[in-house]
Amino acid sequence: MNETQPGQGGRAGDGGPQLTRRGFLRKGAAAVGGAAAVAAAVSPLRDLPGDDLPTFEKFFQRHYKEMTPAEKEAVLRRVEREVKEREGVEVRVGDPPPLTGVEFVYALNISRCIGCRKCVHACVKENNLSRSPEIQYIRVLKMEKGSIDLETSDHHYDPPVVPEHDSYYMPVQCHQCKKPPCVKACPVEATWQEPDGITVIDYDWCIGCRYCEAACPYWARRFNFAAPEVPAGQLNPDMGYLSNRPRAKGVMEKCTYCLHRTRRGRMPACVEVCPTGSRKFGNVLDPDSEVSYILRQKRVFILKEEVGTVPRFFYYFDERGSRYHEPIAPVEPGTADGEAGT
Amino acid sequence: MGKSPAEPTMTFARVDQVRAVAVPLVLFVLAGLLATGPWPFVSPVAPATLVPVWATDPTPVRRPTLKPEIQLAGFTYRCSDCHRLFPSPAETTRSLTQHAHIVLKHGINTRCFNCHHLTNRDVYVDDWGREIPADQPQLVCAKCHGPVYRDWLHGSHGRSDGYWDTMRGPQARRKCIECHDPHQPPFPPMPPAPPPNTLRMGGQTRREDEHRAEDPLRIYRRMLAPDQGDDASISDDYRAMSAEVDP
Repeated sequence: MNETQPGQGGRAGDGGPQLTRRGFLRKGAAAVGGAAAVAAAVSPLRDLPGDDLPTFEKFFQRHYKEMTPAEKEAVLRRVEREVKEREGVEVRVGDPPPLTGVEFVYALNISRCIGCRKCVHACVKENNLSRSPEIQYIRVLKMEKGSIDLETSDHHYDPPVVPEHDSYYMPVQCHQCKKPPCVKACPVEATWQEPDGITVIDYDWCIGCRYCEAACPYWARRFNFAAPEVPAGQLNPDMGYLSNRPRAKGVMEKCTYCLHRTRRGRMPACVEVCPTGSRKFGNVLDPDSEVSYILRQKRVFILKEEVGTVPRFFYYFDERGSRYHEPIAPVEPGTADGEAGT
Repeated sequence: MGKSPAEPTMTFARVDQVRAVAVPLVLFVLAGLLATGPWPFVSPVAPATLVPVWATDPTPVRRPTLKPEIQLAGFTYRCSDCHRLFPSPAETTRSLTQHAHIVLKHGINTRCFNCHHLTNRDVYVDDWGREIPADQPQLVCAKCHGPVYRDWLHGSHGRSDGYWDTMRGPQARRKCIECHDPHQPPFPPMPPAPPPNTLRMGGQTRREDEHRAEDPLRIYRRMLAPDQGDDASISDDYRAMSAEVDP
């Protein structure tokens, strides 16, 4: 078998590469197969929805703070148009400016919260939060009475009725800090603090790096890992550019104290729905407001005060024993408390 | 020994022939697999939770009429319609013959006429026997619950519905009996709305889900009962959880 191998293409010739028919067919088959494999590998791009690619005007849209009023108006109409095209729902996207002489503050009475989670779901409905994957701004932590250990808290509790005898509940959401670490962490200035104290995000400017999520000590920021899914019938048509307009996949979002409501004088959705009246909201610069009274007169607790974020969200207590129906120290025989007490 | 020089060439040729068929074949099979997608993408995200309508309903838990009225057999009567004709005795320790559905669990307040007026049943009574109109029930409650009434007046206790900015819209401060049943005042327990499922992508146990391996109060319990070990201070809940994990 010392003859020349006719099928070996370039290797067979003694004077450099030669192209034989068999070699051409073999290489050609490999090349076609490779091309087909690459084409098949990128074939999921066919299913890419049209709105996943930015349009020209969206791509060259300027930062919220740099937009002229005319540009801002055009952007609001564009968002309305996009929602109409995608969901088939007429919505109003507004951009209420911060009110002068107003600084929003939230107060929450831990003595009265029963942990019913109505605030969580009212917030989801009001702010058009994704139902699947689930995004919720408020977490209600259940903790054992007598301790305030967040490490042992539980936000998946699901007893038949609340409140449970030996527990208390602490809802946590964005604290709208005066020194927000999330704003410092943002590399593109897509999030900032407004004059009325609300930290907002320009969803069209956010690059989704999630640094702010890591920086927040209250776990108040949420990331859209997938395109948010809101049933079309449940879309809240009253939208704000900086608050509850539809978000895209890959951007951060957070509680904005419902600024599309509160900057028009209304209460946030979580305050409105709270059955016990544990949630209080108002203007701290007004000395006659409810929150001013609470900060002056009640015993107020700041969550993670030591991290120096100076939150605008306060927890407060009622006097000990003001819940007349509850004994101050419930002791049942047989429990650890009862044994310890005897 | 006896190894002819043709043999290596022969082997190279075989390998080359096999490769010439195998490479396009593998690529075409790969292309076919990728194009048809034999392993469909299954999202690890949990489906949306069904949220009951009451969970987002902002109406107060009670809707009293704030009027001295009673509904009987489809008719509305004022309290005085009957009580004008049938005066009740001042002492009501005996069991009721009327209004028997009322269960009075208001602590040491076990007398009807601590709150209801003895002669005019359309109003309530204050500490001096004067009348309190039926639409001002908070003045009745304030007779005993002074600190709570003070906080309610300033908005720290109770619901405030409507607008925080009263220049822009009305604000309604809910009265005591719009949340509390005056005959059984503790706020009624209710079922909680659905819990979050975000991180529950299947297969997670309670133990992994919550960092609840330790009793947060164990140090204090050990101080109170030093002869008992850690085990004694772990409540039944935790004991059941550790039994799940450690067989």
